[in-house]
Amino acid sequence: MENMDRPPENNLVWAILSTVMCCWPLGIVAIIKASKVNGLWYQGRFQEAHKAADDAKKWSIYSAASIGVFIILYILIFVVIFAIEGVDGF
Amino acid sequence: MSTVSKRIGVVLLIVMGLVGFVSIYYTFNPSQHSFFIPCPFHYMTGYHCPGCGSQRAIHQILHGDLMAAFWINPLLLLSIPILLYAFGQRAYNYVFKTQYRVSFFYHKWFIYGYFGIAILFWIARNIAIYPFTLLSPDYHP
Repeated sequence: MENMDRPPENNLVWAILSTVMCCWPLGIVAIIKASKVNGLWYQGRFQEAHKAADDAKKWSIYSAASIGVFIILYILIFVVIFAIEGVDGF
Repeated sequence: MSTVSKRIGVVLLIVMGLVGFVSIYYTFNPSQHSFFIPCPFHYMTGYHCPGCGSQRAIHQILHGDLMAAFWINPLLLLSIPILLYAFGQRAYNYVFKTQYRVSFFYHKWFIYGYFGIAILFWIARNIAIYPFTLLSPDYHP
């Protein structure tokens, strides 16, 4: 189980991954959340530290999800173009 | 012990999946094939983001051309060792039930340094004046 004598895992690696690979500003939000984890912990604000760590993960997931949404929309745009123009007209 | 080998198996499966995925980037050069998904930010705004060129850079890295990868996206090239190290450590923690951490991920100078660089890089590579044009993913030496 979770170790109580040190700060929670800040999930920074996901934030870095989503910034470089997904190129989404949401990754920046994840970073800011991750940067707060240790400070809050050493101020004794344990619950807030855990929440910041969870938020860092959450925003990384949003960043990845936004790419998923984009891929679906991108494919949809081509489907619509094909439907209107016909495959020959493309 | 059997549970450890089971977890090693899980890690190997994930690695094999990744190798399969990455082999697409080895076989096809994203600058010559249009079936790759473009960067949403670039697609919608026309500007480059800190991650733009990552797919092309990965193709170059897999072919051993680190200089070409550097000129396409230096941030990606510099981040890959950090990401490999961090995910390698996560895999180790998962297999052996340890709780090691990447210590510099918990230092403010690293976090703000990395993201300061990412944001400056983001701005700089969109400035259409030399020498900033060198940072554009479309620049080839």
